[in-house]
Amino acid sequence: MTLLSVSRLSKHFGGLAAVHQVSFEIKEGEIVGLIGPNGAGKTTVFNLLSGLFDPDEGHIYLRSREITGLKPYQKSRLGIGRTFQIVRPFDGMTVLENVMAPILVRQKDPGEARRLAMEVLEEVGLDSAASSFPRNLTYAGRKRLEVARALATSPAILLLDEVLAGLNAVEVSEAMPLLRKIRDSGVTLFMVEHIMAALMSVSDRVLVLDQGELIAQGTPAEVTANPCVIKAYLGEEETPRA
Amino acid sequence: MDLILQVIVSGLLLGGVYALLSVGLTLIFGVVRIINFAHGELMMVGMYLTFWLFHSHHMDPYLSIIAVAPALFVVGMGVQRLIIQPIFDSSALMKIFATVGLFIALQNLALMLFRADFRTIQTSYSMSTVVVSNISISIPRLVAFGFALILFVALYLLLRLTLVGKAMRAVAENRIVAELMGIRVQRLYLLTFGLGSALTGMAGALILPFTYVFPTVGSIYTLLAFVVVVLGGLGNMAGAFFGGLFIGLVESFSGVYVSPALKEAVYYVIFILILLVRPQGLFGKGKGTEEVGLK
Amino acid sequence: MKSRLLVLLVLLGLVALPLVYRAPFFLHMIILIFFYVALTEAWNILGLCGKVSLGHSAFFGIAAYTSAILCIREGVIPWIGMFPALLATYLGAVALAVPLLRLRGPMFTLASIAFSEVLRRVAMVWREMTAGAEGLTIPFTPGWHHLTFTTKVPYYYIFLLLAAGSVYIVHRMYHSALGHHLRAIASDEEAAQALGINTGRVQLLALCWSAGITGLLGVFYTQYVYMIEPEWAFSQMLFALQPALNGIIGGLGTIWGPVLGAVLMTPLGEYLRSYLGALQQGLNFFIYGLVLIGVVMVLPGGIISPLLVLFHPRRKEVDRTVSIGQGANE
Repeated sequence: MTLLSVSRLSKHFGGLAAVHQVSFEIKEGEIVGLIGPNGAGKTTVFNLLSGLFDPDEGHIYLRSREITGLKPYQKSRLGIGRTFQIVRPFDGMTVLENVMAPILVRQKDPGEARRLAMEVLEEVGLDSAASSFPRNLTYAGRKRLEVARALATSPAILLLDEVLAGLNAVEVSEAMPLLRKIRDSGVTLFMVEHIMAALMSVSDRVLVLDQGELIAQGTPAEVTANPCVIKAYLGEEETPRA
Repeated sequence: MDLILQVIVSGLLLGGVYALLSVGLTLIFGVVRIINFAHGELMMVGMYLTFWLFHSHHMDPYLSIIAVAPALFVVGMGVQRLIIQPIFDSSALMKIFATVGLFIALQNLALMLFRADFRTIQTSYSMSTVVVSNISISIPRLVAFGFALILFVALYLLLRLTLVGKAMRAVAENRIVAELMGIRVQRLYLLTFGLGSALTGMAGALILPFTYVFPTVGSIYTLLAFVVVVLGGLGNMAGAFFGGLFIGLVESFSGVYVSPALKEAVYYVIFILILLVRPQGLFGKGKGTEEVGLK
Repeated sequence: MKSRLLVLLVLLGLVALPLVYRAPFFLHMIILIFFYVALTEAWNILGLCGKVSLGHSAFFGIAAYTSAILCIREGVIPWIGMFPALLATYLGAVALAVPLLRLRGPMFTLASIAFSEVLRRVAMVWREMTAGAEGLTIPFTPGWHHLTFTTKVPYYYIFLLLAAGSVYIVHRMYHSALGHHLRAIASDEEAAQALGINTGRVQLLALCWSAGITGLLGVFYTQYVYMIEPEWAFSQMLFALQPALNGIIGGLGTIWGPVLGAVLMTPLGEYLRSYLGALQQGLNFFIYGLVLIGVVMVLPGGIISPLLVLFHPRRKEVDRTVSIGQGANE
């Protein structure tokens, strides 16, 4: 059943249309990828979905409920979680406290929140680092923390903004099962990624954005064969697909 | 009618000096990206220096600019080198605390050296006025305005035409790229802080003939400079100029039509309103909005 | 728990102290320390979310004047007068600060200064209410009813209660959901919003607590000094900068940092003022300024940060305050 529905979403910055008339749907339990060349508007779409920006045009629906103009904290409470491309941990708080913060929005008792936070940390494999500070974690660790915090909001859909960026091959291969595990626990995933192999291997469907417009959507196989997609990435020249 | 014109003229002339005071702040902010809570104290130092030169050496205030400018230049560089640079990588909040510490230290240093009395200087022309079609223009204010205008033009030319000026603008635009282009950013910060402080100190020298200096005067000027700079847009030179004139007018009008005791209060209220309604200022081009917290 | 026992012992000791020794100057010193502990903790509540106010004198003054005016003109005893005083403080805090809390650190600080300065001038000019610069005097009618006393001892216990109360409030707040959210906002406000935290409401709550306690102190302290006039009630140095200084030097955003700051700086300040101040007016605050610069450079987490490492060896690194404001700012 449809979880997230976006209709004719548009956002302009000055004269530039960052996102133009984008419409798509995401069903519950899917892992959907969002790709496109740099500057295509992917992060802007995320920012619009999570409420950091308000769209100039268009509507966003979560389970048929209109959430278009709501503030970020309201959208979060309704079930939209997101990670940031450049991680933004709470530097002055321990890893555990970082995860407790979003939990404490709903669960006021700190003791119970601590317990729940540890559960989330175990799920992402950071439980041993609970009393460290974010700056003491490895880069991969901080990315996991970012995911853990977003998970702690009990989201219906998790927007992952280049969560694999900067990870080495080993770390990427460790992240894949984690993503599947998160989806299996009931969270729908919507991911922006540049690491194609990883994205294609884990996604059920892929959306392609170019210069603010949605130019293709389909299964990974369909999208990689799509000539418009190839043109967007590689330009006009004919390039035979290997 | 005459009264209104009189008020306008006084306000504009005063505004010129305020503009000069504020352009120093906006220059420093634009390039070094620091909010200096001790900015008004720099003006105070300039004023006290002028005062001392006048009373010990009978130096005319406008002549003492020759001494005040380099002195404040050095002081400014000192502040940047000794206080700002060592903590450059800490959070903005820590840098603010450091400048607050500096403001407290300077204010009380003045108290120690000069006592709490209100001081001013009386030159032969302090009370002179020139009368133009029923409006009496005070000579010291006119001279101050003239100097301020000249310095503004000089600053503008410096920024547009000289290599140093262009380097400053480059760093203000994008520090990282400027550094990659070979600009020695730390050295530039020193120069900018020095220049900004010199301008501010000169404003102090110019204003002393028609106003008082006392140890806590710095706080008033700091707040004033920030009001002007926020009004005109952080980092915006032209904004500082017109903002300065505007605040000069506001103060002049408030002093006459509201109450002399409330003249600063009026522009403080304007300040708060601007922050609420249009934080990028009347002329802001958005460069400093992230500092103001525009959402 | 060892630390709780220690705190209890210290409290008991403080309660028993006047029974043993009650030299007026000594008691005055301790009262002053209690006052500044409470004031600094109150200021620190806003500091928890990374907002530095240098205009808390506004809240002090509003409450002090409201209570004093009601007492002198209408004969309302301060125990009752403190409620309208607090109401006036909240109105001031809410009306102006709610929109201002959207601002980033430095602009908020500037706005807070402007706010207090406007009020100070208004108090000067509004003679019918405040008697302007002449000031008002609290009538001396000794007794708990009128909250004025012949000896310092009752004041001692009142301020001890206020100090202990404010530390307790900050302690509870720190460990509560509100505390975690404030600290999250201090690190990165936008990230906090993305995680469901209603940053506007959370900061407003913090401001109300902060302003409220400050206002309460304004009411009681006026009863202690008997006189109120605009330069004093809205004094930037005494009620805006001093708590900020104490808090920063002690350790911004921690529970005990403000206590440490107040306990260290208050006697130091008094000593400097009596001995050096007589020598050279301004020397004491000059030294304050230098100390502040020094602390920022050497110990940005405040004096408490090395101590926290001692008490919490499990923590690998405790340098919380350096990162306040670092989030998306620089």
